[in-house]
Amino acid sequence: MHSTIVRGQNVFGFFTTVCFVVAALIAASDLLAPRTPKATVAVKDLQVVRGRPHYYSTKKEEYAIIRFSLSADLSSLFSWNTKQVFVYVSASWPNSTLGDAGKGEMVNEAVIWDTIITNPSADHLQNIGPAAMKKLVRSTKGKTIDPSRGKLELKNQKAKYQITSPDGKLAETDNMVLKLHYNVQPWVGVLTWTPQIEFGSWKKVKGGISKAFKLPAIKAKKVVEKKSA
Amino acid sequence: MLSALQNPRQAAAQLLNFGLILSTAFMMWKGLSVISDSPSPIVVVLSGSMEPAFQRGDLLFLWNRNLMEETKVGEIVVYNVKGKDIPIVHRLVRKFGLGEEAKLLTKGDNNLADDTELYARGQDYIERKDIIGSVIAYIPFVGYVTILLSEHPWLKTVMLGLMGLVVVMQRE
Repeated sequence: MHSTIVRGQNVFGFFTTVCFVVAALIAASDLLAPRTPKATVAVKDLQVVRGRPHYYSTKKEEYAIIRFSLSADLSSLFSWNTKQVFVYVSASWPNSTLGDAGKGEMVNEAVIWDTIITNPSADHLQNIGPAAMKKLVRSTKGKTIDPSRGKLELKNQKAKYQITSPDGKLAETDNMVLKLHYNVQPWVGVLTWTPQIEFGSWKKVKGGISKAFKLPAIKAKKVVEKKSA
Repeated sequence: MLSALQNPRQAAAQLLNFGLILSTAFMMWKGLSVISDSPSPIVVVLSGSMEPAFQRGDLLFLWNRNLMEETKVGEIVVYNVKGKDIPIVHRLVRKFGLGEEAKLLTKGDNNLADDTELYARGQDYIERKDIIGSVIAYIPFVGYVTILLSEHPWLKTVMLGLMGLVVVMQRE
């Protein structure tokens, strides 16, 4: 029974076992790295305008245009098993139509801004132009982990996505808040999101929620046109 | 195969062994399915729309139960669209409402626009029931074999041939 095939099978079997054990150890090592992110989010400017979802649509919807500032330190999320950190800011608000039943509960949530921060080990996977890639690779000088990328400083940042609601009404919505979230994508192992509870050395985000605010009424049409012109 | 005819007892044992391997794999798959409450608890990434997080061939483990909280914005979900047989892995970016009737919108990290164009005609949002699971764990590249096999069908013939060869050779 000691034929070449059996030996080949044994070697392959042992190889895969070793691979999986090493992968499991790497994945488990995530738990040892403390996570202590902190952030402050603040609303800078609010506008509600009427517009169409796309060029050929006849439907008019109300869009919230939000400007915000974000100061975040997510550097503790970067370890040797971090492939990328997906950072996103969402706006959430309670339902107006539910009345008292859904009061206080943030039943609507929409991402208004996001960014992908790769660990230098994953830079080559980014979908960016050659010039930007060169700059990105050069910025870390051959390091494989660069926690300093986790420091974000945005001032008066315009939202990437203009949000609306399914019924097209959004003006004068009250109790809206902005929240910072993250999603850590590992090289191998478990994906993790902003924790709801503290887990070992993984702490909750310190801050990361803006004060509640109310969206203004729709801007007069003339003003909107002047702005876009 | 000739030796199998000479020794039917050994042939039967081998057949049983093969059946056992197949049924074990099937049971494990279905067991995972029951635990995660997902019809397909492990999926292989087929497109680059979630790059740089997921590349083609990466293996994803899904979880489809809402034990502590609802499926929420930011989660990476695998969903089916009516009339399309290939499930899509994208991130949830908007959620309006609660529970089963919540309107959900998805977007690929590597795509500029959201998925409204990918949905069925006249469909603007997906619902919780369209989702077959949220991604909870990740192993890179292991699933690439399945992509190779589906893109180059002749590889299947080669693999079957090799396996047959192994069976015949093992009789020596």
